[in-house]
Amino acid sequence: MTARHGSLQQRLLRGFVGVGLVSAVVASAATIIGFLVVANQHPIGANRVGRRLTGWLPSTPSTQEVVLALTGIGFLLVALAVTTALSIAQRVLRPVGDLAHAADRMATGDLSVRLEPEGNDEIAGVARSFNVMADNLDRSVSTLQQLESTARRFAADVSHELRTPLAAMTAVTDVLSAHTPGMSAEAARATRLVVSEIGHLDRLVSDLIEISRFDAGTARLDAELVDVRAAITSSLEIRGWRGEEVQVEAQPGLTAHLDLRRFDVVVANLVGNAVKYGRPPVLVAARREGGDLVVEVTDHGPGIAQQALPHLFERFYKADAARARSDGSGLGLAIALENARLHGGDLQAGNRPGGGAVFRLTLPGEAEAGELR
Amino acid sequence: MPQILLIEDDPHVREGLEIALRHLGHEVLARGDGEAGIAAICAYEPDVVVLDVMLPGADGFEVCRRVRAFSAVPIVMLTARSDDMDVVAGLEAGADDYLAKPVQPRVLEAKLKAVLRRVGPTTTTQPAGPVVFGDLVVDRASLVVTKGGRHLDLTPMELRLLLELAGNPGLVLSRQQLLASVWGQDYLGDSRLVDACVQRLRAKIEDVAAEPQLLRTVRGFGYRFGP
Repeated sequence: MTARHGSLQQRLLRGFVGVGLVSAVVASAATIIGFLVVANQHPIGANRVGRRLTGWLPSTPSTQEVVLALTGIGFLLVALAVTTALSIAQRVLRPVGDLAHAADRMATGDLSVRLEPEGNDEIAGVARSFNVMADNLDRSVSTLQQLESTARRFAADVSHELRTPLAAMTAVTDVLSAHTPGMSAEAARATRLVVSEIGHLDRLVSDLIEISRFDAGTARLDAELVDVRAAITSSLEIRGWRGEEVQVEAQPGLTAHLDLRRFDVVVANLVGNAVKYGRPPVLVAARREGGDLVVEVTDHGPGIAQQALPHLFERFYKADAARARSDGSGLGLAIALENARLHGGDLQAGNRPGGGAVFRLTLPGEAEAGELR
Repeated sequence: MPQILLIEDDPHVREGLEIALRHLGHEVLARGDGEAGIAAICAYEPDVVVLDVMLPGADGFEVCRRVRAFSAVPIVMLTARSDDMDVVAGLEAGADDYLAKPVQPRVLEAKLKAVLRRVGPTTTTQPAGPVVFGDLVVDRASLVVTKGGRHLDLTPMELRLLLELAGNPGLVLSRQQLLASVWGQDYLGDSRLVDACVQRLRAKIEDVAAEPQLLRTVRGFGYRFGP
């Protein structure tokens, strides 16, 4: 390390010593010539060299002309010194600049950036270390990405494999349910348990497949102009939420470009959670803020624990590890968020100042001038 | 009692669906592969076909295309994956609707009811009887459609869509409205059903399907019928 350090100093030193030497030599020569010329003009001790030199000159120079000549030479010397110093500084500083630029690019996530080390000094050494680091980082990141995509593909494959046996079971659940009245109490209980758990497994597998579509990037947005109030009301009615339990607040005529099925998934999830974990009344309020459509779902329950807030949208996240398994798949909010993002929007959770949870769905969109038929 | 042909290779899924369909009051024929399925369609002329996509040999899409070459029987595809690609490919092959496995018996029943619904008088202010659009003649009473005097073979869904559109000439009908009126689905139905059916209909009624003159798209709103 010391040797490399020495070599940077050497390089700078060589440059500056070189400039100094050249300047010194040229300055001495100019001084001597000037002296000889002046001496020749005033022949107090003119020698042959002086006479010969004055012989080249167009005429015998005056003192003023000698001073001018010396000033000219001085300027030349300064220019020479500055040029040399600049070129040396540039030679030394360019690799440092390249390094800084490369580090900046890497900081913004470009792991493909590499340097071309020149020479053997420590700047070149740093450049080589930078390249090794970039290679390692690149490899680690792509290994991680590979592992993650393998894990996700595995989850997707497993879900697909589960579908076939599940399809056979799901098909007969209604037949089983229809026959429970004729069964012994015990058999009927067992049947109801099986039927209900098949339903649960079905929701879990469907949600896994749904989220694996987002992971694979195959989820597609099928948007069209819809009446927001009608869409929300339909989502609630299908699930039997109405009246005092869940209220809707939206101007009639509020329209937006939405994928109805995906919008329904988000609304159903948020309202479902509010009904399950919050306290009525649950309010679904839709309005336009700036150009965005904002849908807020608020409840009057205890709100969301502060430490749970950052994790709510994680897959299979449970606010309370000891809480009994719910009817949901544990993927509901993660899917709702993915659906919001597919619209180019966002979904956020928080608490109301007065208590109760607030979920805020923001979907971007130009203000709709169109009339809905 | 409507007769349903079920083409599904997995024996357990086939048995489960057979039990469920019989329980719902249908008469069920079941086949395990595409060739046997096509033969059964020729032999028994079922009212509706429930067709699995993943079949050994000829897959569901191919079976669907081959059936469409000789029959307008309603076809409901069973997609194991419900991938968007599968759904679109199935509808393009000529299926009238699709169902993602695992199928809830109630959902299956609702879809079957929709495709089995008889083509009846549509909600329209237009009088029954032939309506003429250029060389296309839609006879609302006899349910016969001709183009340039030639009889067009339309599937029940295509015919119902055409009657709905031709019954409201010049009006823009949204895909949701068409899903409700033609497919009898609630507002959460898949609007790609409409798009796919429109494509198939255009291939039959338009001079150049890619440059529709009769059945036009109103971007972001829906479809409009009329010259």
